[in-house]
Amino acid sequence: MVKEMLTGNLAAAWGARLAEVDYIPAFPITPQTEIIEALSKWIDNEVMDAKFTNMDSEHSMITAAGTAAATGARVFSATSSQGLLYGFEMLYNIAGWRVPLVLINVSRAVAAPITLEPDHNDILSARDTGIIQIHVETCQEILDTILLAYRLSEDERVLLPVLINMDGFYLSFTREPVLIPDKKKIREFLPEYHPKHAFFKASKPMAQGVAVLGGSAYSYFKYQLHLASLNAIGVYNEVANDFKEIFGRSYPAIEEFMMEDAEYVLVMSNSFTVKGKAAIKSFREKGIKVGLLRLRLIRPFPKSELRLLMNGKNAVAVIDQNISPGSGGILFNDVSSALYHEKHRPDVLLSFIGGLGGKDISLTEFNYIIGEMQKSVETGIVPETQLLYTENDMRQIDKFQKIAGKM
Amino acid sequence: MIQNQNNMMKGIRFHGRGGQGMKTASRIVGTASFMEGYFAQDFPIYGAERRGAPIMAFTRLSNNPILERGIIANPDINIIADETLLKDNAANILQGTWGGTITLVNTHYAASHVKETYQVSGKIATVDITDIALKIISEPVLSSVAAASACKLTGVISKESLEEAVVKELTDINLKKEVISKNTQAALASFDNTPSISFSDLKLSGEESKNRIIRLRYEGPYVGSASVYGHGNTITKKTGNWRLFKPVIDHETCSRCRACFVSCPHSCISLDESGYPQIDYENCKGCFICMDECPKQVISKEREVRAW
Repeated sequence: MVKEMLTGNLAAAWGARLAEVDYIPAFPITPQTEIIEALSKWIDNEVMDAKFTNMDSEHSMITAAGTAAATGARVFSATSSQGLLYGFEMLYNIAGWRVPLVLINVSRAVAAPITLEPDHNDILSARDTGIIQIHVETCQEILDTILLAYRLSEDERVLLPVLINMDGFYLSFTREPVLIPDKKKIREFLPEYHPKHAFFKASKPMAQGVAVLGGSAYSYFKYQLHLASLNAIGVYNEVANDFKEIFGRSYPAIEEFMMEDAEYVLVMSNSFTVKGKAAIKSFREKGIKVGLLRLRLIRPFPKSELRLLMNGKNAVAVIDQNISPGSGGILFNDVSSALYHEKHRPDVLLSFIGGLGGKDISLTEFNYIIGEMQKSVETGIVPETQLLYTENDMRQIDKFQKIAGKM
Repeated sequence: MIQNQNNMMKGIRFHGRGGQGMKTASRIVGTASFMEGYFAQDFPIYGAERRGAPIMAFTRLSNNPILERGIIANPDINIIADETLLKDNAANILQGTWGGTITLVNTHYAASHVKETYQVSGKIATVDITDIALKIISEPVLSSVAAASACKLTGVISKESLEEAVVKELTDINLKKEVISKNTQAALASFDNTPSISFSDLKLSGEESKNRIIRLRYEGPYVGSASVYGHGNTITKKTGNWRLFKPVIDHETCSRCRACFVSCPHSCISLDESGYPQIDYENCKGCFICMDECPKQVISKEREVRAW
């Protein structure tokens, strides 16, 4: 066991290396490129035994990943933002093929306007594909989650690809101390993959992804995919327990932070959660009973777990680092629909959009959210989705607009 | 991990230009902090990457788990490795500095002069780290020397950890042993040349109280879409300040062959009425292709000490 300063990207590459993957189809895109650079270097230096292929696009890359997984190989790849969207139709396909593999998405907001910094519209656009989604907060968590994801993905009760999301820049290029676990422990946790389901072999012809005209067949197989995804909640909890026993690190589907006796709850995801945690600590020092939940398992959405954690609370505020224009925050809808029929559901449920394109969420914003929650509890009036945007942000925009010749 | 100090947390911000080594500098300080037993975090931020563009890099060290990510808005230590950035409003390198910030500027000017000219808040020191790098490494790469200054200013990183971190980080980017040993030598010289400055007892006053949440209202597409109507303003950006050395043509011996005129990749060389090449120093980036191409070798390389 070694502890080293690693970027999120390098931690992801280590995860793939330690999982002893067989095949990596690759295509570069900022801010993901360092992952595949590291892997190709290791394969070239022969410290890693895998096949690496540069593809002509993400569409081909995801196709190659799915087809290779259908031969029984353990497959890894990584992409980001525009790249994920370029390969989009294949995401639905590989989920429908019911092949296990792990794909990293390094979050980057989607054009236009084009940027390099993160929000989660890229990854959340893939929420209906049938691919399992786990969103992480730290560099350690990236490495650990890759190991965990292969166990989950390869489980016969699931057999679905897993997308792991980490934020560009805030994790991808940020170094922090990461424990690189021992090989022996990893083998104990993650055995070699021996597929009983899809594997193409010369002597055993089979077909995948066949045409099924007439709705009954389509409906049947699609709903099987849904049931497999629902199975993944239980399997996830099992696998996370095993992981904790072997490695000592705990990754529940929903992470709790200072939730004991909390009356107010913030809901966040990914790396910006750390800003929320810092804010919660400062509120606690002032005697405000507030806690935080971090959504880690996004698909399947762990509804029962969420209900247990939220029932009886006074107010909940969901901070979505994404926007569904014309509707609001994507995760807010998941959270609110999970709570609707609960007798002891929180009194008020507020929706905020923040951190789009990597915009900071500062203490000003967190103060505002707490104030809005208190106000809503007192008055019973709950505002529509609000954007977390400050006077200082506006001042900067005015400056840019002037340069752009508009004012 | 170090437990005996209460809540020590330092945020270091590095400003430089692409190619000067600020990312590596932030990593050296991160690794040195990690080796000293602190929780550490380091990362660079840049836009569309190119040599010469202003870049920032950051290191955080703390004796507790770090509950922060992203840019350091109010640095405890602000390292300005390229003094020409002081004049670049768009680079905003003094943004968020406050009474508790220690600023280090790479310049031959006295600290008091810089403080007055640019109204720098907090404490300030100046060290000509480019000079140290040129003397010892023979190249104006500032990663090790800038990192060394930052390490010294933290007051908690030893020379031994600095040295070890320089070796580790430069080995990771495949530098040759002799280059690494020159870098460690330069780093130690920079460490010694950087003054010890104690942090003030000032606490950052709640900046957030001055800021507030506002509600956006609809604007027509002229304002509300990311379109640009202004005419190009890149000509107002003088790229000459990316240069550390300037090419000088000896017109006495120049044969007017035009090789430099033709080969300048940025069209910064023009011909005067008599056919002699003249360099546009406001925009010449100092790539020295002209010097390499000159068949009579009448172009020389001169170190510039900035006068602002």
